[in-house]
Amino acid sequence: MHAALAVIFLTLFSGGGFGLMALVAIVNDLHIDGGLSPIQTLAAVILSLIFVTIGMLSSTAHLANPKNAWRAFTRWRTSWLAREGIFAVAYYPFAFAYLVWTFVTGAPDATVGLILASLAGVIGLITIFCQGMIYAVLRTIRQWNTALVPANFYAMGLAIGATLLAAVRIVTGESAGVFVGIAIALIAAVAVMKAIYYFWIARPSGPTIRTATGFNRFTVRILDQGHTFGTFLTEEFGHTLARDKARGIKLMMYFFAVIVPIIALAFAVAYQSAVAAVIAAVSIVFGLGVERWLFFVEAQHVVNLYHGRQRC
Amino acid sequence: MRLGLVIDLDTCVGCHACAVACKEWNTSGTTAPLTDYNPYGAKPSGVWFNRIRHYEIGEYPYNKTVNFPMSCMHCENAECVTVCPTGASHKRPEDGIVLVDQSKCMGCNYCSWACPYGARELDRVSGTMKKCTLCIDRIYDMEIPEEERQPACVLTCPAHARMFGDFDDPESPVSRAVRERGGYQLMPELNYDPSNHYLPPRVHAPIPTEGLKKKAGAKVKEWVNRVVER
Amino acid sequence: MATVMEFEDHKKQEIKYSTCYMCACRCGIKVTVEDNKVRFIQGNRNHPINQGVLCAKGSAGIMKQYSPAKLRNPLRRKPGTERGAGEFEEISWEEALDTLTKRLEHIRATDPNKLAYFTGRDQMQALTGLWAQQFGTLNWSAHGGFCSVNMATAGLYMLGHAFWEFGDPDWDRTKYFMLWGVAEDHSSNPMKIGLEKLKRNGGKFVGVNPARTGYQAIADEWVPIRPGTDGMFALSMVHVLLQNEQFDWDFLLRYTNAPFLVVNTPGQKGDGLIWRDAEGHPLVWDLEQQAYVNGMQPGVKAALFGEFQTPDGRPVRTIMSILAERYLDDRYSPANASKITGIPAETIERLALEMAHVAFKESIEIEVEWTDWAGRKHDKFIGRPVSMHAMRGISAHSNGMQAARAIHLVQILLGTIDCPGGFRAKAPYPKPVPPPNKPAQHSAPNTPLKSLPLGFPTAPEDLVIDENGNPKRIDKAYSWEAPIANHGLMHMVITNAVNKDPYGIDTLIFFMANMSWNSTMNTANVQEMLKAKDENGEYKIPFLVVIDAFHSEMVNFGDLILPDTTYLERYDSISLLDRPISEPDAICDSIRHPILKPDRNVRPWQDVMVELGGRLKLPAFTKEDGTPKYSGYKDFIANFERAPGIGFLAGWRGKDGETHLRGEPNPNQWDRYIENQGFFQYHLPKSQRFYRFANKEYLELAQRVGFNPTADPIIIELYSEAFQRFRLAGQGLYDGPMPKDPVDRERLATYFDPLPDFYEPLEQQRIDKKEYPFFAVNQRPMMMYHSWDSQNAWLRQIIAQNYLYMNRQRGEQMGIQDKSWVWVESHNGKIRVQVKLIEGCQEDTVWTWNAIGKQSGAWGLKPDAAEATRGFLMNHLISELLPPKQGERRLTNSDPITGQAAWYDLMVKIYPAAPGEEGTWPTFPTMKPLPGDTPAPDVLRYHTHKPVNLKS
Repeated sequence: MHAALAVIFLTLFSGGGFGLMALVAIVNDLHIDGGLSPIQTLAAVILSLIFVTIGMLSSTAHLANPKNAWRAFTRWRTSWLAREGIFAVAYYPFAFAYLVWTFVTGAPDATVGLILASLAGVIGLITIFCQGMIYAVLRTIRQWNTALVPANFYAMGLAIGATLLAAVRIVTGESAGVFVGIAIALIAAVAVMKAIYYFWIARPSGPTIRTATGFNRFTVRILDQGHTFGTFLTEEFGHTLARDKARGIKLMMYFFAVIVPIIALAFAVAYQSAVAAVIAAVSIVFGLGVERWLFFVEAQHVVNLYHGRQRC
Repeated sequence: MRLGLVIDLDTCVGCHACAVACKEWNTSGTTAPLTDYNPYGAKPSGVWFNRIRHYEIGEYPYNKTVNFPMSCMHCENAECVTVCPTGASHKRPEDGIVLVDQSKCMGCNYCSWACPYGARELDRVSGTMKKCTLCIDRIYDMEIPEEERQPACVLTCPAHARMFGDFDDPESPVSRAVRERGGYQLMPELNYDPSNHYLPPRVHAPIPTEGLKKKAGAKVKEWVNRVVER
Repeated sequence: MATVMEFEDHKKQEIKYSTCYMCACRCGIKVTVEDNKVRFIQGNRNHPINQGVLCAKGSAGIMKQYSPAKLRNPLRRKPGTERGAGEFEEISWEEALDTLTKRLEHIRATDPNKLAYFTGRDQMQALTGLWAQQFGTLNWSAHGGFCSVNMATAGLYMLGHAFWEFGDPDWDRTKYFMLWGVAEDHSSNPMKIGLEKLKRNGGKFVGVNPARTGYQAIADEWVPIRPGTDGMFALSMVHVLLQNEQFDWDFLLRYTNAPFLVVNTPGQKGDGLIWRDAEGHPLVWDLEQQAYVNGMQPGVKAALFGEFQTPDGRPVRTIMSILAERYLDDRYSPANASKITGIPAETIERLALEMAHVAFKESIEIEVEWTDWAGRKHDKFIGRPVSMHAMRGISAHSNGMQAARAIHLVQILLGTIDCPGGFRAKAPYPKPVPPPNKPAQHSAPNTPLKSLPLGFPTAPEDLVIDENGNPKRIDKAYSWEAPIANHGLMHMVITNAVNKDPYGIDTLIFFMANMSWNSTMNTANVQEMLKAKDENGEYKIPFLVVIDAFHSEMVNFGDLILPDTTYLERYDSISLLDRPISEPDAICDSIRHPILKPDRNVRPWQDVMVELGGRLKLPAFTKEDGTPKYSGYKDFIANFERAPGIGFLAGWRGKDGETHLRGEPNPNQWDRYIENQGFFQYHLPKSQRFYRFANKEYLELAQRVGFNPTADPIIIELYSEAFQRFRLAGQGLYDGPMPKDPVDRERLATYFDPLPDFYEPLEQQRIDKKEYPFFAVNQRPMMMYHSWDSQNAWLRQIIAQNYLYMNRQRGEQMGIQDKSWVWVESHNGKIRVQVKLIEGCQEDTVWTWNAIGKQSGAWGLKPDAAEATRGFLMNHLISELLPPKQGERRLTNSDPITGQAAWYDLMVKIYPAAPGEEGTWPTFPTMKPLPGDTPAPDVLRYHTHKPVNLKS
């Protein structure tokens, strides 16, 4: 699949933003490690809003005909994309209200605030699920057509959120041991989940050039794809990644999404280093950006079978 | 009604007539125009609803070339419609034709991701998704002579490798062809239940030759003349 | 249909019928026009050729009409600039025609042969030939010499009809169809329609071709053959048929010259000629009378086999005896043929017997009363439902003429000629074997030639040579080098004119012929030749006139460019005098008429030719008072009569338009054609549809309407006495002109075999096949064949780059990777190309799509178009001359009989390009845009109206 930056940003940033919001709600609801201070809450919610907004704006940048974007909410009965849009939009009023509430009252842990936070958090989590399902329902792309996709999206959204939250805590100069612990646990979960995913998609299955053409008992090779140069189909779906190159990029992804953030967070909490905390946050966003790029590039749409791919 | 096409792989010579006729009709059709990019430049490209691929089956010298036209299959389980967030993509209940309402499409490409058959192509200038309409603006237009109320690709196919009709009618030519010739759907394992079917190449029975062989080779001088009146 | 829908507004539209001209197939088209723009081009359902269907080219006609490469104004090479530099200035038509008239007037008054007029893929040779004849130059032909002359000639010297456009398989009835070589050219849609019918009827389709593409893709059996060995394959099947006595005795005895007696006196004058009586009738041995009798008498019971003696003691044999003795020889056994052709011996034998089975065990009968040539009634036509088609794959070899004859021989032995299920003739064929008109031999100032420049020689006396035996034509057609060059040798014109061999010319006119690019051999050198100057600084070809509708590579070399219209903008006639569109069951012709108004300063070349005819006062175009006889092409077509009552168009003749085929000119004839959807068809009665070579009613009709001079039966010639006369001339045994040069003598003696035979193609005889192990051939893809249209915005999306196709296993053995760049080298040059490894390619063969490669800047394409940067021409590797030989003048790389260009005799070697060597080579300088050119658009959104949206 063509890895458009706009689509990468959509799930990467909004997922992180929703994850962050959900964690803010959980932390304040359960008063974990004393809950977040009003400043920390404000910072976290603002960060969440920024992340979600980056995601949303880039999603519209991906549209070829954005003037019809408003119609995207109409088919919520069948389309996960429509549902995602609706929930993503629904997140805003609650997140904003919580922001305003906290700003005005300075009591992020008051009941009204917590209700607002919890609603925003839950809506965010639902949105992440919808985002995962956008991909997971596609039978045309076996690398996506698995429950691991929404599960991964959860892990990654929450890991970004937790890293951001830990960073907020550290930057505001407060002890962050528990938060760092949560973040590292979630990052470790990402590492494991992603490993399971990569193991899963490495096993060939599904349609082949033979089932695609119906010549099930013979070798089938492409002679000519019927057009010398690219078409929408080859440009959108034709991308591939050589196996060894993919391996290198995956290592890089693990390095930035897992190893650097864990070390940086550990360092940050040990030495109360704001710089390290920020490095952790930037690194995980970058690393999971690489992961999202891989997610697209490694997705092999079955239409490629018609362009000569033996299997996807 | 369940309208669709039957493609005869036994007779398709791969001439691209259907593809160009489709382009020609539809560039002034309901989703017109079908934009071409760099039409005279380094890498020409454009929007087409019907593309012909060419495959080689088996290995030399027991190989066969198969020409393989593909356009929208107008699937019964049209996931492209299910996933469309705007409602631009729709499947007409009355005849099963899958269409994209150009006034509603926002160009998110999602439907094309859901389509296993490469039937949908984004027009990068209009920003909308376009696809085969089964020439809905031909088949129902009463001002077009009745025998020409067919998709442009079917109308033009010189090898008569394309048939158009109603798969819900068991006695329609398309239903009969599928039944008699072992017509099949592409990638049935995905369960899209495409309406379009493909007829496999026919297998020709051997022609008997043993009885014609003379035991000893002929020699000119041995032939006995026959009397035939000139 | 519940939804209420809106449709496009047809009130703004107009339907017009015409004839397609995207290739040589000439299908009927139905054109929907909206605001002087083309909304839709579709096949005309009523048209005899295409019956409603249309190919990719036909539908892409819209993009031809709106091509940015269209010429806009007459152009002159800018004074002071060099030819080929592409510097032009616009001039008026008046100035252009004045310049041309002056020059031509002078040539005509001094030496008309100083004008050489050669035309490309036009379909108006009846007019251009008439014009050349009237002008008085021998130097005219169309492009058949580099196209299909072998096919036309083989058939016309054997059957009276031929592959190419003169015959068709009986698609409705045939049960076995063998297709030889590339065939996606002339009969493109009828062939596709026919193949589907054949398959639907359960018939078998066998494809004989080194490449499995195109129609061969759907063959039930593919026979990958080495290029240029088809003749051997056919003759080996003849061997098998004879060996198993599987031939049609009745057919051979009744309709062919098989029983004729041939004098067998090797080394003496008269050897190999048919023994004739005092009146010139061929003699046969009558089995009942036990006597020699005139073989042309009805009722003779001739011996098919036998050796006899004439009363004066000369040994004679029947043709069939000679033939059987020849082909039963072990040389033609499947085992031997297998070594040459690469086809397994069992396959050769099986295929021959399969055809015999279908011909004789599955024969069909059509119960219709018909009358044979002698007036005898028959109650049925017997059909042998085996048919064949062959075209360029056979034609474009220097042994192609004999190979085509070998294929016809298989057809004749099986009795499949013009019978139900067989290979049927299309009017005005069959004609006498060969047709009786001879080429014009003499040219004189201000005098028309006595006949057309092209014709059918049957003896050395018919050659167009001077008293010293030297060629009189610039292309050396009808000389000892190419005695039966019935379509001329267009591929030799530039080389010969530049070498002033046999003489220099003054003006060269090319119409619709891309002779500086894909239509010439040796492209790079030919471009140099076009620019070559003599010691005085004058161009060796002093004046070059190019007529084209598009900015082709040839236009770049013109001194004067005359812009033509497109096929949707002019009148045309597809005439029975020319290359008609008849079907086996109907005599047909058709027209084009202007559907769109030209938006540029262009004129149809036909109109211009008629005007030039008047300006030059050519008799056929001039009234007695010296004023022009015709106001233009339309007027000319309606009123010109070649013989009384015979004009270009056969339908609706007579003052009232009520007579057909022959009748007085009808002033409203064009209107009648337009009313009748642009075509005319005369359905032959059922009794005239088969065995037309011996069908009295048909033969009488053919005589009456001027197809044939007499109603005599047409004798199918297994053995060509005409060829034998040339052979005798080579052997020094002919009573008449004989060549002096031993090279010519040897060629005549070797190749003018009166029986079809196989010999190794001439170039290959001189090539070290260890060094150059691969046969290299090319073909056009179906969606571009004959369309000279790679600039077409839609078609070029399908193919804008060609590859060198190679057998996958062979390539892998050689370490050549798929999609890698390789050098391909022949004795004449080398090219760098990209390889594709495929299954459907004979292992000793490589091939490519021809004419995809374009010169940068040509055809309205941007300079970096893939056609120029990645596409390539194989032409660079092919020489128009054979590799030199000690003590021999340079000879044309052509069939030694017909002068057919031997495109497909090429042998090459292939080796990987060095790492980093990418892109096509050689490359050529970018052609400059023409004055007033607007750059081609980056985005094209063609449509004729605002779309009607379908709401969900």
